[in-house]
Amino acid sequence: MAYLSTIDFFTDRNFLDRWQRTLRGELDLGWLHAKTEKLAATPENPRRGLTFRDLDQGAYGFTALPEVVRQNRSLAPRGAELPEGLPDLQPAVSHKSEVWAYNTEGYYEEAMTRQWNATLDVPWHELAKYELPDDISRAYAQLLTFLTEVEMIATDVPAQWLGRLNNEFTEVKNFMATQVMDEARHSEVFRKRALTTGYGLMKASPQNEWSLKLIRDSDSFAEMSLALHLVGEGFVLTLFRFSEYISPTELDKKIFRLVMQDEARHVGYGVQHLKWVMRHFPEKREVIHQHLDEVENMVFGGGYAVEVTEPFIILAGKGTKKENIEHGTRITALFQMKQIEEYFERLDKCGLQERRQRSKLHNALELTRASLQEAGVIP
Amino acid sequence: MAFYLEKDYFEDLELFHLTERVMSGDLTLHWYEAKTERVRVAPRQPARGLTYEDCNVGSYSYDRLPDLIRTNYSMAPRGAELWGKLPDLGYTVNRKSDVWADNVAVLYEEAKTRRWAPAVDLPWETLARAPLPEILEAAMAQLCTFLQECATAALGITSHWVYAINQEFLELKSYLSAQILDHARHVEAFRKRALAGGQGLKRASVCAEQALKELLSADTYPTSSVAGNVLLGSFLLELYRYMAAIAPSPLDLRLFRLAMQDAARMVAYGTGNVRYHLRHHPQRASFLHDYLDTTEHCLLGLAGSPECLEPLILLSGGGSEASQVQRGSRAVAHFLRQTIADYLERCEHAGLSGRSTRSQLPQYLQRLGV
Amino acid sequence: MKIPFPSLTFFQALQALMRQDEARFRRLGFVDTTFGIRIVTTDRAWQYLLTFEVFECREVREVSTFDLTAIDFVLQGDLAAWVEMLDNIRQHGGADVSHSLNTLTHFGERLTLLYDDPDNRDKFFRFQESIQEFFDLASALDVELPMSTAAGAVVTT
Repeated sequence: MAYLSTIDFFTDRNFLDRWQRTLRGELDLGWLHAKTEKLAATPENPRRGLTFRDLDQGAYGFTALPEVVRQNRSLAPRGAELPEGLPDLQPAVSHKSEVWAYNTEGYYEEAMTRQWNATLDVPWHELAKYELPDDISRAYAQLLTFLTEVEMIATDVPAQWLGRLNNEFTEVKNFMATQVMDEARHSEVFRKRALTTGYGLMKASPQNEWSLKLIRDSDSFAEMSLALHLVGEGFVLTLFRFSEYISPTELDKKIFRLVMQDEARHVGYGVQHLKWVMRHFPEKREVIHQHLDEVENMVFGGGYAVEVTEPFIILAGKGTKKENIEHGTRITALFQMKQIEEYFERLDKCGLQERRQRSKLHNALELTRASLQEAGVIP
Repeated sequence: MAFYLEKDYFEDLELFHLTERVMSGDLTLHWYEAKTERVRVAPRQPARGLTYEDCNVGSYSYDRLPDLIRTNYSMAPRGAELWGKLPDLGYTVNRKSDVWADNVAVLYEEAKTRRWAPAVDLPWETLARAPLPEILEAAMAQLCTFLQECATAALGITSHWVYAINQEFLELKSYLSAQILDHARHVEAFRKRALAGGQGLKRASVCAEQALKELLSADTYPTSSVAGNVLLGSFLLELYRYMAAIAPSPLDLRLFRLAMQDAARMVAYGTGNVRYHLRHHPQRASFLHDYLDTTEHCLLGLAGSPECLEPLILLSGGGSEASQVQRGSRAVAHFLRQTIADYLERCEHAGLSGRSTRSQLPQYLQRLGV
Repeated sequence: MKIPFPSLTFFQALQALMRQDEARFRRLGFVDTTFGIRIVTTDRAWQYLLTFEVFECREVREVSTFDLTAIDFVLQGDLAAWVEMLDNIRQHGGADVSHSLNTLTHFGERLTLLYDDPDNRDKFFRFQESIQEFFDLASALDVELPMSTAAGAVVTT
């Protein structure tokens, strides 16, 4: 038992006496005079319903949240009266800029109304009409194995952190909860699709598993968010877009369009969080660079994961003949460059333009670009 | 940083050569002959879509999972070929019979189809058109302040374990993810309800929070599940049900009816989990009984906290006049009896035989005069 | 054409309306439960078994007995209580707070939940919104209700 209530309710005489008095009709009603703000929030746009943004008023609002939460370490909701005796939940993060992002509340509301269902929203019954070539099915099953493998990490990690945040950060915690569900759904949809290919799951990807460990073992929320939302999911978002492009069936295109929407929200949060940190917590800049050095190492090490790259080449080239592979490697090289370019574009938007100068990954990008130009793949 | 990758890949010649080889079209294809089972699943019932039950086949199935997971501490999905050097991701819950319930896959599918969004699925405009009398609105604001504390604790309980549970239990982790979303939705819905009514939030509850922190602190999964899903879950289910029965407005009726559905899934999983656990480890019934002997007082801390009890009386009686308070007190006494009786019935039915006689809760109700 | 209550025709009409309004029930989610309806007067009882599956009411039939171990629960009440509920649904386009199934069963005064297994009984709560909206469909029917007497009893023909 890690914690025992300071009151034993079975034996506490005062508690019993008070309860008996209450049931006899002697109400204390002290809560009726709580020193809190009165508020009647209404939807700004009735079609959108009552949103968290509509509640952003006075002491209840997230705008008024101080940078450092000193008063409330309990389960009490932000803006409630805090009597003496509330327990300390030992939150690991009580600094707003460590977790906040522009538009957190918007991402949350969007997530709640854009939930989809991998069981019903994908027309599984239509699969019977598709018969894919063996090499395509096999490559696709391998790609799906990788996607099943990596998605659930993005359930575990936000779940772990949302329980460790100060409860004043309601909107962030709730957004994390939507991400937990989104990623569980992604793992589900890719697993289900793999099991419909006629192959089932194929080989695990050890190199990517080590990358997942780096994300899981982040020391702070800020480190985690950089590695997960901005980098990991940023790269996966580009991958989803390319996967939609190379999808072997209309059904698969639909799957990738749906997961892409979710992933874009998570990346959006990551970008807006980093922007927030850069503006409100500028002394973090060097720490972020140091962390990105290691996260970029993680990304670059992904080159070892040929059980991901090779299926991609086969799917992009639409087969395993020499000409297919040649075509597939060109598309895959372009895709990989795109992943890295988009990553640096996101950093630019966050105010980390100098990253290109100090990044080994950026250097690798430039070398790849030069070699592809030399080979005539890109102008 | 607690963990660093074993190489600086930017300086790794081996990686350079491998990449050069693959991108020149000389594929390794080492994955091409994966030693895994070939399957092609399809929806058994098209209207229901492709469910996890449809995927419960062969080496991919959850039915065939061993009780103890010894061979996979990575994220590799169940049924994939494990090869090479996979990491230990540090899972600390690796026994199926600690976490499983026979209804896990069904509850997950159900949770997804029965989702709702407080912003758009509740008739907020009706509250502005027909506000409650001030005293009832204040009571509702207080109750919703209390319910946010409960939902936040429930969110904490579930989210704490997801990270620790082995990935082999995918369907269970998926269900818990849906439960996390349910709890977050309740935090949102009760916050919005309180702040929409003109009163704002009221007072946090010391009694309730002390009880909730104790429930949050259960140190094994089986105790945490019985505390969170059965004890707290039963209380919330009964409270939502009660509030739906006496709802003072159409908005509140719908809010509590929808919350009730979510809480009923939580309880269904909790009792299913206790039943599964005890079916595999009947000797642990005494351990759970001992735990509940110590912890059941938390139910009193919740139900008897002034921040829950008093607004409930006012809402039940329809106001704060003496006659209304008397009527409300009688109704709440009935609610307390019902809550304890249903909770104990669920425990008994889940396999905790003798809980009704062993529990101190019924005697406490007698002492209360209920 | 008027649809008499209680009757198998009444529940078949609700079943048909539920099928027609599939989008509404699809939005509410899976509903997988089999439960009984028992309507009693001092001298007789009507019993129907309703089976819901996925998004629809798959089957309704009249039965002579219920096996509580084989179904989830039974909603039982006096004809007067059922009539009052349906009358309320007709007036308001759906049950108001005092006449929702949850309210009527909560205190066990007007309607009672009979069950063998509390897990199965809890399905009444898990699928509450779907079950309520199923009964609310009665507002669209031209139902012939037995006449209420001043004492609250009903006169059946």
